[in-house]
Amino acid sequence: MTEPALADTLPGEEQAVGSTAPPAELLRALGALSVVPPPASDPISAALGLAAMTAADHTRLFVLDLPPYASIYLGRDGNLGGEAADRVAGMWRALGLDPPADPDHLATLLALYAELGVAAVTCRTAAARARLVHARSVLRAEHLVSWLDPYLTAAPSYPGAEGWARLCQAAMGHEPRRHADQPLPAALRDAPRCIQPTDNLDQLLDSLVTPIRIGFVLTHRDLQHAGNQIGLGVRRGERRYTLRAMLDQDPAATLGWLAGEARQWSTAYRRHPLDGATSRWWSARASSAAIILDTIATQAGPMPRTRGTRGPAVPTGSKHPGMTDTSVASPEPPMFTSAPPAIS
Amino acid sequence: MRSRRAPHEPTPDLGALGERVTAARAAAEARGETFYQGASQTFLAGFPPPERWDDWVELDSKSWPQRVEHRSMLVPTTCFNCESACGLLAYVDRDSLQVRKFEGNPAHPGSRGRNCAKGPSTLNQVTDPDRILYPLRRAGERGAGKWERASWDEALDTIAARLRAAIIEGRQNEIMIHIGRPGEDGFTERVLASWGVDGHNSHTNVCSSGGRTGFQFWTGIDRPSPDHANAKVIYLISSHLETGHYFNPHAQRITEARAKGAKVIVLDTRLSNTATHADFWLSPQPGSEAAINLAIARHIIATGRANWDFVHDWWNWQEYLAECNPDGFQDFETFKSTLIEKYEAFTFEFAAAESGIDVATLADVAEIVAGAGTAFSCHSWRSAAAGNLGGWQVSRTVFFLAALLGAVATPGGTFPNAYNKFVPRPIHVPPHPKVWQELSWPLEFPLAQNELSFLLPHFLKDGRGRLDTYFTRVYNPVWTNPDGLSWMEVLTDPDKVGCYVALTPTWNESAYFADWVLPMGHASERHDTHSYEQYDGQWVGFRQPVLRAARERMGETITDTRQVNPGEVWEENEFYIELSWRIDPDGSLGIRQYHESRKHPGEKLTVDEYYGWMFTHSVPGLPEAAAVEGLTPLGYMRRYGAFEITKGRGALYAEEVPVEEREDLHITSTGRVYTAGPKPESLNVGPIGAPEPDDEGRRAVGVLVGGTIRRGFPTPSGRLEFYSSTLAAWGWPEHALPGYIRSHVHPANLAPDQVVLLSTFRLPTQIHTRSANSKWLNELSHTNPVWIHPADAARFDVTRTGDLVRVTTDIGYFVAKAWITEGIRPGVVACSHHMGRWKVTGHDEVGPGGMMATVDLARDTDSWTVQARHHVAPYDSADPDTRRIWWSDTGVHQNLTMPVHPDPISGMHCWHQAVRVTRARPGDAHGDIAVDTSKAHEVYRQWMASTRAAGTYSPDATRRPAWLMRPLKPAAETFALPAGPR
Repeated sequence: MTEPALADTLPGEEQAVGSTAPPAELLRALGALSVVPPPASDPISAALGLAAMTAADHTRLFVLDLPPYASIYLGRDGNLGGEAADRVAGMWRALGLDPPADPDHLATLLALYAELGVAAVTCRTAAARARLVHARSVLRAEHLVSWLDPYLTAAPSYPGAEGWARLCQAAMGHEPRRHADQPLPAALRDAPRCIQPTDNLDQLLDSLVTPIRIGFVLTHRDLQHAGNQIGLGVRRGERRYTLRAMLDQDPAATLGWLAGEARQWSTAYRRHPLDGATSRWWSARASSAAIILDTIATQAGPMPRTRGTRGPAVPTGSKHPGMTDTSVASPEPPMFTSAPPAIS
Repeated sequence: MRSRRAPHEPTPDLGALGERVTAARAAAEARGETFYQGASQTFLAGFPPPERWDDWVELDSKSWPQRVEHRSMLVPTTCFNCESACGLLAYVDRDSLQVRKFEGNPAHPGSRGRNCAKGPSTLNQVTDPDRILYPLRRAGERGAGKWERASWDEALDTIAARLRAAIIEGRQNEIMIHIGRPGEDGFTERVLASWGVDGHNSHTNVCSSGGRTGFQFWTGIDRPSPDHANAKVIYLISSHLETGHYFNPHAQRITEARAKGAKVIVLDTRLSNTATHADFWLSPQPGSEAAINLAIARHIIATGRANWDFVHDWWNWQEYLAECNPDGFQDFETFKSTLIEKYEAFTFEFAAAESGIDVATLADVAEIVAGAGTAFSCHSWRSAAAGNLGGWQVSRTVFFLAALLGAVATPGGTFPNAYNKFVPRPIHVPPHPKVWQELSWPLEFPLAQNELSFLLPHFLKDGRGRLDTYFTRVYNPVWTNPDGLSWMEVLTDPDKVGCYVALTPTWNESAYFADWVLPMGHASERHDTHSYEQYDGQWVGFRQPVLRAARERMGETITDTRQVNPGEVWEENEFYIELSWRIDPDGSLGIRQYHESRKHPGEKLTVDEYYGWMFTHSVPGLPEAAAVEGLTPLGYMRRYGAFEITKGRGALYAEEVPVEEREDLHITSTGRVYTAGPKPESLNVGPIGAPEPDDEGRRAVGVLVGGTIRRGFPTPSGRLEFYSSTLAAWGWPEHALPGYIRSHVHPANLAPDQVVLLSTFRLPTQIHTRSANSKWLNELSHTNPVWIHPADAARFDVTRTGDLVRVTTDIGYFVAKAWITEGIRPGVVACSHHMGRWKVTGHDEVGPGGMMATVDLARDTDSWTVQARHHVAPYDSADPDTRRIWWSDTGVHQNLTMPVHPDPISGMHCWHQAVRVTRARPGDAHGDIAVDTSKAHEVYRQWMASTRAAGTYSPDATRRPAWLMRPLKPAAETFALPAGPR
């Protein structure tokens, strides 16, 4: 019996799993490095020809600053779990499998991606193969490439991670890309709006730690770097707390730095797109964020330091003109009253 | 932004890198090291990949920290420890050629690599120190425990001579094979058919026939196939998850459905494992389940949630109106009004009064069921259907709900099992026997779903016949049936049973009384095919002697399964071929032809040819799948153990009848379509109802629905039979509709000091009669206390768990330990049915029998007592684990104290008992039993009095409706009522 060509059974799929796909074992190994700390992962690094990371560097990257969970980068609040993780779990169920504990961890996703590739090659019927190839394509588009653009843009600057990130990018970029007319991944299609000039302070802070709202990733290390650049004190704490302290100290400078950061990210996505439409989306989102942050920075203007380590304390409930502290104001007036610039 | 993106570099050679990682992983794993940890170990299934099944390397856990490798061949087979037929993978040690362990077979579509505790415990059975390894012949009196080893030739020649004489002398009805654990679908029936003997007897009437009956009257097919995985509402009436039938395949699919938000509703008087996982656990008064179902049905109808389009098209409402309302309007609106009126009385208040479940809970459950739409999966098997007089109406009213919702063969609905089962046509199909076995199919039970097997001792005592040669096949009638001591009376009476041949892998309470004990193999030592309904698809599984397959992989030629099995353990396929040849050595009786090779006429059929033919000619898609892998179809099945034939069968009843089947059509006023066209030969010979032809001999081919001839259901009307013309015509018009029959243990039938004893449940870690030969299972569960609600315990003056109680039935009593628990309804006690294994003093010389109590059995005419002499204790054997037996209590064999209760319609033994529970008396000991078999015979007569025999009620002078399913259906002419007084 001659099996139908896969191209016949998969309209829109440029290429089935075949010789150009990255080997399953490579994908598994790359995933494993994101979850197994040295020295247990040293043999894997060696097999990949990568220098072994130190345990501290591994923890800094994969545990503290950039935990490789899809939900953090695709979730509407930038948190672990939630709908973004449920979507991945749903895919497991759709495949007839029980979702594992961390379905949206990069290691799990790459392992599943690898297994689907193997299964597609070894399955017995063309129909099963078509289903597996399709599932693999969906997994790549919806749950991997959808967030690896920002992730692999952020990761290489961490010690010991550059080679790993390069291989990840090569492996994912090596796969057939999506057609221009294919829809965006659901998480991006249904993404929450970008920050708005009308956002109050809490909304702004929430957005700044939510990659999908601003199009880029702000890490602890970035904030430390920003403080050094613009001469602000960096209060130790979770990122939202640190950012709030910086905005208290000098909103214009902080917002200006953030806008510049967003512009650089927007450019970076365009330089090395992982997948056309998806990369364009992230680039556009960062660009929009840059424009809005610039706008807010301009309207805020230079301000006295009213809070923070370097300024005198102000009474609770006091407000800087134009900034609203939701802890005392309700209903929430907009941060600024002027219309935001149009975002294309 | 800091430096983020790596400089654009040439793409690395990913293929080479992949190879390097593969090599590194292989090297690490070969050293017994783990290459990937944590989430990176994610694989679609954590099973050895098939390409490594020839040489699979594992480390010996007991040798840690030394790294001692085990190299195994992985050979698939099928579990034999319940009906699910889950896939097993035997790990055959490449050096010793012994099975090291059994795990799940990932290639099996039903079980998908998962097993319950019973599967891996096959290893215990294989290595059981008590197993029977050689043919044994009785040396002293029956039951004296004296045996001598015999050769297979001696056994075969002796038994064949008896059978040949019986056949030649026209005493076919003196031959009977009684089946316990089913093997291959239809195999034993075909052996008997080849002998011209209607001698198939099954255990089904002490098991599932009550459940089957309700489904058969609706659909013409006697089992449901719920699509649990896709259901919104799962409705189960069973003791535990379908009482162990399909426990593993269904449990995993129910778990999936629950993860997707499905609601699970369990009706079980006892808090079963399944009930603990349910959204609603209803603990009804035993026997009231049908009343609850009907109240839910009324709610569906009253609230407009019935799927009227489905009802209109697929129910036989026209036939109902024509028969029961001939003078009224014959339109659908009239039927709807009638339906509402018919069930008006089944209010929640009525159901609450019958069941003891409060109205609000019933209303909540009804609302959930009503909202399920077509994603309503339901099942009722043993439990209520097997416990109560009229229990078959429990499954009939369960399916009533599915039929009202249109949830029939829909995603998440309930299918007739034949849609999801495939029994491949075998190489030879002998004709129907030309005799009728009245010991199994007596005239009093014309509608019985299965053989009246549990009445056999009473029929023999009544002088209705005798048995020259009686086989039991992996069956233990003394222990399994109610009233086992009556069985013992007839098995020890050579005038009633001339020769008793026990085909069994292990000793049991019945085999001790046999004349011949012939060792048969366990799951890894025999051939069978299986196919069961476990989701909307069809698969065939293959059981095989794994050492045979392993040695063949190594290039050896095996021609007889005994060459690889331990001792001289055999399998039935080869045994029956050989036995049939010895019955008819020259072929003159016409028997041998069905056991001959097709390739080499005149030579014996081999199992390789038998299965090779079947897999090549009768399993669609298998030859092609095998060819892709360069295998023969048999080679493929030996390699993978299972094959999925179809998936997503859908509503086959709605398929249009092809033009080529339409010839000289006759269409009745109710739309039943008959054709003169021949029936296309089907490769699937799974059993279904066989609607009778029209008066001119045309066969029933379909039904007219909306102007199109569709396949319909294998019922007389071709539709779902809300109204059973069969029940109406055969003397039971009052039960022709789904209804409620008050149980023999209805509160109105109980004396003030009586309670109901539930005995139909079992534990999912137990095999019916073979757990005592499985040490792991025995360690998990080995006793069966009597569940007593605290309120009842106070009433019975039982103060604490572990106190001894005496439970008195109509024919005797047993003494057991109390378990005081709120997991049972007040007024009801419960005792698990698969404990209390024993051997008679004296039989302990035969084998260690280490996990059965040794009892003294005393008889004074019809009065019997059983008293434990020794409880189980550690003992020495080749297995060091027998020194580690830490328990002594093996429970009580309560079935001995239960009289037979044949349901007059389904023929099912109604297991529930009205009992009195009291504190044990001075001198009572745990496990004590006393039975009066004359009282047992009297109870038998009382129940027989309620039957409506074919001689009086048959509408067409036949013994039984010809369309009803029946194992080993005899030739048409045998259906005629016998001449003489009826």
